[in-house]
Parts: sequence; structure tokens; C-alpha cells
Amino acid sequence: MSNLLSVENLTMKFGGLTAIDDLSFDAKNNQITSIIGPNGAGKTTVFNCLTGFYKPTNGQMFLHKKNSKISLRKYTDFKIAYVAKVARTFQNIRLFPAMSVLENLLVAQHNELMVASGYSLFGLLNLKTYRDKEQLAVDKAKYWLDIIGLTHRADDNAGDLPYGDQRKLEIVRAMCIEPRLLCLDEPAAGLNPKESAELNKLLKFIKTEKQTGILLIEHDMSVVMGISDHVVVLNYGKKIFEGTAKQTKNSKEVIEAYLGVDE
Amino acid sequence: MEKKDIIQSFKDSLFTGLIALALFGPIVGLRTVSKGEGLFITPQWGVVFLLVGLCILGRFLININSARRTEFKIFSTLSSKFSSISENKAKHFAITGILFAVVFPFLPFTDRYFMDVAIMILTYIMLGWGLNIVVGLAGLLDLGYVAFYAVGAYSYALIATTFGWSFWICLPLAGVFAAFFGILLGFPVLRLRGDYLAIVTLGFGEIIRIILINWYEVTNGPDGITGIPRPSFFGLPFKRSPDEGEISFHLFFNLEYSTMHRIIFLYYLILVLALITNYFTLKIRKLPVGRAWEALREDEIACKSLGVNPTNTKLTAFAIGAMFGGFAGSFFATRQAFISPESFTFIESAIIVAIVVLGGMGSQTGVVLASIFLIGITEMFRDLEQFRMIAFGGAMVLIMVFKPKGILANRKPTILMHGDKK
Repeated sequence: MSNLLSVENLTMKFGGLTAIDDLSFDAKNNQITSIIGPNGAGKTTVFNCLTGFYKPTNGQMFLHKKNSKISLRKYTDFKIAYVAKVARTFQNIRLFPAMSVLENLLVAQHNELMVASGYSLFGLLNLKTYRDKEQLAVDKAKYWLDIIGLTHRADDNAGDLPYGDQRKLEIVRAMCIEPRLLCLDEPAAGLNPKESAELNKLLKFIKTEKQTGILLIEHDMSVVMGISDHVVVLNYGKKIFEGTAKQTKNSKEVIEAYLGVDE
Repeated sequence: MEKKDIIQSFKDSLFTGLIALALFGPIVGLRTVSKGEGLFITPQWGVVFLLVGLCILGRFLININSARRTEFKIFSTLSSKFSSISENKAKHFAITGILFAVVFPFLPFTDRYFMDVAIMILTYIMLGWGLNIVVGLAGLLDLGYVAFYAVGAYSYALIATTFGWSFWICLPLAGVFAAFFGILLGFPVLRLRGDYLAIVTLGFGEIIRIILINWYEVTNGPDGITGIPRPSFFGLPFKRSPDEGEISFHLFFNLEYSTMHRIIFLYYLILVLALITNYFTLKIRKLPVGRAWEALREDEIACKSLGVNPTNTKLTAFAIGAMFGGFAGSFFATRQAFISPESFTFIESAIIVAIVVLGGMGSQTGVVLASIFLIGITEMFRDLEQFRMIAFGGAMVLIMVFKPKGILANRKPTILMHGDKK
């Protein structure tokens, strides 16, 4: 399996506080890589560095393409999603609550639609080329809604959906930008066991069918252990363990980090 | 209703009376009269007791009413009337509204005064629709919208008086200038949101006005610009006695000369401009850029994470909103034939924002209703002179109390997967 993402010596300092300390790890194509750790271990900070919300103090992050690699440091802000095709979701759901479910998924396809609408000119003239492209975008949205079983609610406001559905919607919205790497920040937070199981199914589907690497921050161990191919454990910004789910479960360092050391 | 309730509400109203006494006592009770060598205080306790009595009585009636859990009938019917306007009805309302607007100048009771008020209301509707793009769709609270109105008016006035170009050439130019200023304002405020943005835009509005006052060589300062050319009917001027070689409107159409011709033409001009603004907004809302505006209003961080460029998106909103403000400004200039910085004070921005907010952010029909309501009410009370602003404030309070989200607050999705169910 080829490498998709490599993080090399990543360090992020906020004033005197070192949130991430010399972190290196790899994530592979078509695999789910989980980042776990106690609260405040720096997991979300890793995501914010990867997705351009923070500029890391030190270190490199590369996204590998077929024969080349691109440095994520070069891109900030919206360009991470637009150019590098790294998508993310948020710990506290960030949908567009007053817009319909379908509109949410169309905003994710903004850049293609913008070109198709000739930067609004063709759209204002209502040309057929634009209408066809828009129909394609709707079809794509419908494809994803069918998968998460929300097609019947496509015209309802996203904010009116139940919590679990909002989580799933945020994930498929990120998938609508056709990302190469999908970063999920605690997707199972606040889900009941049934919804967690559905989430596992969705993530497995994305992994196998969509050639997308998934990077996952999660506290819910039923999700982490159920679907992770690879686990990275952080504590106080440092990597303390890396291995398969099974190895992680039995690792002494990890148990100590979570439960404390025996006196 | 129980006896306990009545005693309770009576106590409450007595307390209200106490507060009223404290307020009205010094304000109304002690009246200063200047007589010869100084100021003298004349007490007028009779009026005070009348006012306090009214307060107690009013409070008592409200208390009894709310204890019975019945609302004032007039308010509840009013508020349910507005909320019952469904999308379908809104469409009928829009069509009837436009038809009424088209035949309005030829209705029997329409006179010069009505036409002037109608033109004013339409100008505010157009400004409201223009600002709706910035405030309602993109969610950028702009308190300096009058700046673009001013830029449009002055661009038109300066170009028309200097080069003598016709209205139809100057109008788009004024729009372009205003859009340029929109981008100019947009750049420094890209990172700001909410209250901070409002303060900076407010400042921008004032800066433009102060530049207009002080840049005497160009803008003629507080004296304003006079003799701005009137628009012509596709080359036919509205003059009683046209210049040599010119044919004026009434001669061409073989009509008796009347000043109303020009007024009616101006009315249709602003009607068409406003409808263009509306059509454009409704169209662009359904395009990717329109959806990006709304998404930006909902959550800017989520937008970035989806690859939407917030800079470009905000700047287009500012530019397009400003452009329509500029169009309205050039109309204002050509209608008045005289403009001065006094016409572009902060109160204008405040009124336009009030129209957008009270209409229901993002609602096109709401802007129309709010404009008619606010401007119409202030006009109706014109005889009260300085007190008419109280009517304006009262109208705002009424809307805010009974429709806190605006007169028409329901948003319709820009695209439907399952078609219209209703």
C-alpha cells in the first residue's frame, strides 16, 4: 500500500506551550489511520495544521501523488481543500443550518460549479452548459444522500436534521469535494451505538470504494478499534505509540497514558 | 378570573404609576418659562396626574387582559396575517404588486404628491434590494451603504455636468464607480464580522460624506452640485420649449405639455431599475456564487474547509450590492437635479438597514412591505413635523415586537430535489 500522507517532525508552539512536539507519522491510501490520545494531547491541533488553519512552527507535511509529492505547508486557508484536496469535518458540527441539505452538498462543489457557470455569467444567461453541470452536481449529491439514507430530506434545512444525521451529512459534504485525504474530527461524538455502527459502515464504504485515505480523531473506542487499520497515539503532543488496533489495545504505554501508572 | 389576580394586577399598576410619576414629575411637571429677566419654573401638576392616571389604567387593563390569556385582538390578527403569507401567496402578492405599480400613475386619485411619495418608496425599495445582497444574503452588516448611494449620485452628477453625456451612458458608469468603491471598502474589512464590520462600514459612510464636504474643487463642497441634466425619453427631452433642432417629448407624441410627463417617466425609470435589481438578485441567489454568499453567512470556517474562497465571495457581494446602490444614486441625482452631502447622512443608511432587517433578512417581498410601511408611515405623519420620527420609531418597535425575525422571514431553498410539494 502506497503512502498518502507523511508528516515529518511536525512541531506547533503557541507561545511557551508546545502543543505538538516533533511528531512524525504516515497515512496510507485506502486506509483508516486513527489518532487517539487523552484530552489535550494535541490531536485537533494536528488537524488544524494539516488543513491550513494553523501554520506549524516546524516540520513538513507531504501529500503524495502518483509520481510527485506536494507540501501542505504551501497552502493555507481554503486552498487546502481547493488545490490539495484535503477535506475535513469539525468536532462541533459545522453545517450551514439555515440552508437545505441539498444546498449544503452543492456549496461543497462550489469551485467546479463556479467555473461551469462562467463565474456567474453563463448562469445569469441560463445557458444549457451550466444547467447540465448543475444537474450533474445534484446527481452527485443524490448519490451521497442515497448512501446515508437522507434523500427524502434533501429539501429540508440541514439544521432541522437529527444530530446523528447531521454528522453523516457533514462527512458526505466533505466527500463532495472529492478529497484525497479526509480528516474526521470525532465523528462519533454524541452518537448512540446504532448510529456509531452506521458511521463505521459509512467510513468503510468510503475507504474501499472511494480511493480516499481517512485520518480519524476519535474517543469512541468501538469505532477506533472496529475500523482502524493503523493507530497513532499521542500524549502531551508526543507520539507514544504507533501500530495496529490490536497492538494498541495491548500496549503498556497507551494504557498508562489513559489510566495512569500503577504506584 | 380570581380576586387574587385582580389585587395583584392592581398592585402592579400602582407600581407602574409610581415609576411614571418619577419620570413625568420632573420632565412634564416642572416647566421652564423664560420671562423677561430669567427662567421661571411653572409647575403643571394637573397634566402629570392625568398622565400617571393613564399609565395606571393602561397597565391595569394589560394585566387583566394577559391574566385572561387573551391577546389584543388587533395585534394577534395582524401578526397571524403576516405569518400566513405562504410562498404561493407571496408569488401572487408579487404579481399583483407589480401590476398595481405599473398602473399606479394612471389611477384617478394619483396626484403629484402621491407620485413623489411612490418614487421615494421605490428608491428605498431598490436600495433595500441592493443592500439585501450584502446584509441578507452574505450576512455582512453594512451600516455605510449610503456611501455607495453617494458615490453613484456624485459620479453621475460630475460626469453628466462635465462631459454632458446622456443618462444612459452615465448610469452604468456610476454603477461601475460604486462597485469599485465597494471593493475598496471590502478589502480592509475582509477579516471583520458582526459588530466590528458594522462599525467600520459606518465609518466608511462618514468618510465619504466628509470627503464630499471638504473636497471643494471637485465636489463643490457643502454647496452641492446644481444643474444636473434631467433624463430624456430616449433622446426626447421633457421641456416646454425645446432648444433649436430638438424635439421634446410632448411635441413628438402630440401631447399637451405637462410636468407630470417627467414625473411619470421618472416613476417608471425607478420601477424598472428596482425590478432589474430584484430579478438579478433572485437569479444570482440560485447560482453558485449566491449559495456561497449564504454559506458564508452561515459558517465561514466551514466554507474555507470546503474550498470556497471567502475573499472573492465577500468582495463580489460588496461590489454587486454597491453597484445597485450606485444605480439608485444616479437616479436620485437626476431626479433632484441638485445634490449635496446633506442627502447622504447616516440616517439614510440606518433607514435602509432598518428596511432590510424589518422586512426579514434576505426576503425580497419583505423589503417592499417594510419600505411601504416605514416610508409610508413617516409620510402620513408629515403634518406632525419633527414628531414624525416618533411614528417611524413606533413602526419599527411594532414590527420588532410582533415579527422579531422580520415581516417575511421564511427562506426558500434555491434548488429543490423533489420539486415543489405544496
